[in-house]
Amino acid sequence: MKRTTMLTRTVAGLAVAGLVLSGCGREEGGDDGGPGQGEAVDEDTATGTIEVWAMGAEGDILGDFVKDFEEEHPDATVDVTAVPWEAAHGKIQNAIASGETPDVSLIGTTWMGEFAKSGGLDPTPEGLVDEAAFFEGPWGSTVVGDTSYGVPWYVETRVLYYRTDLAEKAGWSEAPQTWDELKQFAGDMQDKAGAEFGINLPPGGGGSWQTMLPFAWSNGADVVNEGGTEYTLGSPEMEESLEFYKSFFDDGHSPTRALDAGELESGFAEGTFGSFISGPWHIGLVEDAGVTADQYAVAPLPGKDSAPGTSFVGGGNLAVFKDSDNRESAWKFVQWMTDPAVQQAFYEEVNALPAVKEAWETGALAEDEQLQVFGEQLGSALAPPAVPTWEQVAAQIDSEIEKAVKGAAPVDEAVSTMQTQAEGIGTGL
Amino acid sequence: MSHKTTEPAPLDPVDIETQETEPAAGRASSYASAPGWLYAVLGGGLFLMIVPFIWMVLTSVKPEGEARRVPPTWWPETFTLENYETLFVKLDFPTYFINSVIVASAVTIGNVLFGAMLGYALAKLQFPGKRVVFALVLATLMIPGVVTFVPLFILVTNMGLTNTLTGMWLPFLSAPFGVFLMRQYIIGLPDELIQAARVDGAGELRIFFSVIMPLCGPALATVGILTFLGSWNNFLWPLVVATSEDKYTLPVALALYAIGQNATQYGLLLAGAVVVVIPIIAVFLALQRYIMQGIAMTGIK
Amino acid sequence: MSTTRHVDPTRRQQAVAAWVLALPFVALFLVFTAGPVLASLGMSFTDIRSTDMRSPFAVGFVGLENYTQLLGDDLFRKVALNTAFYVVLGVPLTMGVALAVAVGVNRVTRFAGFFRVGYYLPVVTSIVAVAVVWKFLYRERGGLFNTVLSWVGVEGPGWLDSTTLALPAVVVMSAWRNLGFLMVIFLAGLQTIPTEMKEAAEIDGATAWQKFRYITLPMLRPTLLFGAVITGIGYLQFFEEAFVMTSGGPLDATRSVTFFTYDQFTFGNYGYAAAASYLLFLAVVLLTVIQFKVFGEKD
Repeated sequence: MKRTTMLTRTVAGLAVAGLVLSGCGREEGGDDGGPGQGEAVDEDTATGTIEVWAMGAEGDILGDFVKDFEEEHPDATVDVTAVPWEAAHGKIQNAIASGETPDVSLIGTTWMGEFAKSGGLDPTPEGLVDEAAFFEGPWGSTVVGDTSYGVPWYVETRVLYYRTDLAEKAGWSEAPQTWDELKQFAGDMQDKAGAEFGINLPPGGGGSWQTMLPFAWSNGADVVNEGGTEYTLGSPEMEESLEFYKSFFDDGHSPTRALDAGELESGFAEGTFGSFISGPWHIGLVEDAGVTADQYAVAPLPGKDSAPGTSFVGGGNLAVFKDSDNRESAWKFVQWMTDPAVQQAFYEEVNALPAVKEAWETGALAEDEQLQVFGEQLGSALAPPAVPTWEQVAAQIDSEIEKAVKGAAPVDEAVSTMQTQAEGIGTGL
Repeated sequence: MSHKTTEPAPLDPVDIETQETEPAAGRASSYASAPGWLYAVLGGGLFLMIVPFIWMVLTSVKPEGEARRVPPTWWPETFTLENYETLFVKLDFPTYFINSVIVASAVTIGNVLFGAMLGYALAKLQFPGKRVVFALVLATLMIPGVVTFVPLFILVTNMGLTNTLTGMWLPFLSAPFGVFLMRQYIIGLPDELIQAARVDGAGELRIFFSVIMPLCGPALATVGILTFLGSWNNFLWPLVVATSEDKYTLPVALALYAIGQNATQYGLLLAGAVVVVIPIIAVFLALQRYIMQGIAMTGIK
Repeated sequence: MSTTRHVDPTRRQQAVAAWVLALPFVALFLVFTAGPVLASLGMSFTDIRSTDMRSPFAVGFVGLENYTQLLGDDLFRKVALNTAFYVVLGVPLTMGVALAVAVGVNRVTRFAGFFRVGYYLPVVTSIVAVAVVWKFLYRERGGLFNTVLSWVGVEGPGWLDSTTLALPAVVVMSAWRNLGFLMVIFLAGLQTIPTEMKEAAEIDGATAWQKFRYITLPMLRPTLLFGAVITGIGYLQFFEEAFVMTSGGPLDATRSVTFFTYDQFTFGNYGYAAAASYLLFLAVVLLTVIQFKVFGEKD
């Protein structure tokens, strides 16, 4: 008796659920064709409480930092909650889904597409900031479809780290500037300076696209077309770039295994790796591992025929949520954060590179040689398309890079698979 | 009576003794001391088990550069307490610790109690719907947690429980794991105990609390330890439920400081891991002797 | 004799008591589990994505399309095989070693507490620390295993870099890590075996192995069933060890169904991910049914 009634009830329940769901449906015809920029905010001072989420060290410092804002806007209070990076994406996702969002949040540049498409973010108000004040790559990461959501806050970009003492031994007094030079450089580091690997490049999987795509970009390949509506991964330029990337592994210049945490810095310090490509956080890591300032330097990425090549730019943007109940003040806070003086001051606290160009013209950022390299690279760096499906497409690219590098698939097949997979996934817009 | 019985003979409930001391008292007297080779084998295995733990503790007192070194060092070249300093100075440690304690204790107590209750009912009582309930318990056990995460969060939000400690423990107050474990354990207890108590006129609930529960020491301790472990280490749910830092639990707060967007501070992370593990070991040490509680029967009739 | 058997007062008292005892679990289940499970099941029949969450009903109903797409997805098939292998190798290995350790720890008279805590420690040691140590053990050059192998003249491979060896390597580490969990459960189960029975058997001349086979094992059946089910469920959902050791590589050799599902959730493909989870659920049910047949009580 029990079994059949249980079964009947379950089936009935599922049927009802199915009917309910089929009654609802996706509205075809796409969404409103882009909401356009938001309504401008007024010129008065901010009021009320502004709730802000920020991740990691930035979030930690921000809490004290905002006192200056509160002085300028005495009727406003800024409440900062620090959120761990790990799972922050999920946390924001859930917040948007449930409607319980703060007013402002730091959002990773590669997350913008998804959150904007979900309708959770408020488009940037007209006239709030001047697009030209920011580096091109980071601004691009805020634009989903045709609309900008949020503003770039801090950035990071990738450059070439290399052992200057080993390079001298190998006969290089300057960093390589072109692809051919890079190849030669890696070989010389091994033959003449005793490095085991001239360069360490990620062999696929786990974010390798952030190192590989810059080669493609430097070669003129594009990930998407002009309007950002289609993927253009399957191009001869991409094949050529992947061939070049793969040649480092084939010729023994780079190991084909993914390194363990800490292995890169240790290896760099010991001279196992002559060079590698990474972002500003590695300065601290490399020096922690015992490399002294006169033993290494950073240089802009080599381009196909001249430096600098095009690099990857990431970082964080500030966005205001649709469900915020203090929209105007929230945007005023965001505007304040992009003021060049504030950006510089923030850099001094946290070492997060400013997204605003003017902040680089004075102070430590203008004078420090190493930082100037990053500044130069920022002028020629791109962000991936801000589409909701980017994470998935990037994972496919990673997978194909791995197959090509490890010889599991020929380069042309890997590239065409990237294209078909990406097309299958779509942009999500 | 013959000693060749293969089932426990009927027992007089009064004669059941429970031991709370080391097994040496109850059992070693009838056992020769364990053979030396057993100690050697177990000892060797033990060494393999604890190496990562020791490395974790040793690395938490190394500076970041050394902590990240590959190949890893064993004994610290430089001994430093900076990781622990950062931890205790930057983190509002008492708040996070108390939050973790409240949530984990609530979940543990709930699971131990409610798991025993339903576990007993499923093991020893007859009632309509028994098979359905057991099927539900198993089904819930088998559903991958990740799939109900998002709908559960929306539900909890609609109940107004975001950013509350209640929202962190309430959904997990009785999980199928505890129910299932108690059921399996209680099945092994002799039915005659219960029959005898019924004959003596005890009510059903009374039998549960006075006769069965005292015998369940090992299982209760096991459910307690394992549930506490799971709840104490739970990261994702408390992270998503808490919207202000004062509601964070310890794992959430630790991840906040140690894991960056692009780089992780291993020394700090491991110092955090050491701090997080201490209460778990404390709970284990406190409860593990109950696992060894034996049932001495005073005689086979 | 006007009443039929099921109105027998003891039976009714039992039923009432049982429902009182069952109430907390059932109530919590109805509130916090039933709803989300039905919702996620519903999601698996739609093309819902994370970008739809603010208007979750405005999605397309796709019937079984997610499921058929999964079964045709090369990567899904691969991770399914990986997961099956992991379970088939891992469950007996972990259970066997945990049982041996539990019996051993139960037997010793001194340092028992140390042994219990020690074997349990891997379960509570941070996975980060575990991963660092085990990656060191498995290193191709300088790693402990290969160093020991070189003493007998064997050149060890790069364990975690090989598409064939990486998964067994992760299984071994997993068994090492999880045996403490099972050991605790088995120790509890061993307490239900009356020492008098074992003594009686000893007096009758039984050897240690005979005692184990004919007394301990049968009486441990319910506990063994529990251990097998829990470990099976846990291993079918394996994720963390592969995530930190190999990130699912090389070339997806250590990627599991749960890892796949996690990725799909991260990509925002909620409907697809939900469908993958329910396929996993079916596998869990199947495995559990088999285990009940093997270890279950005959009642």
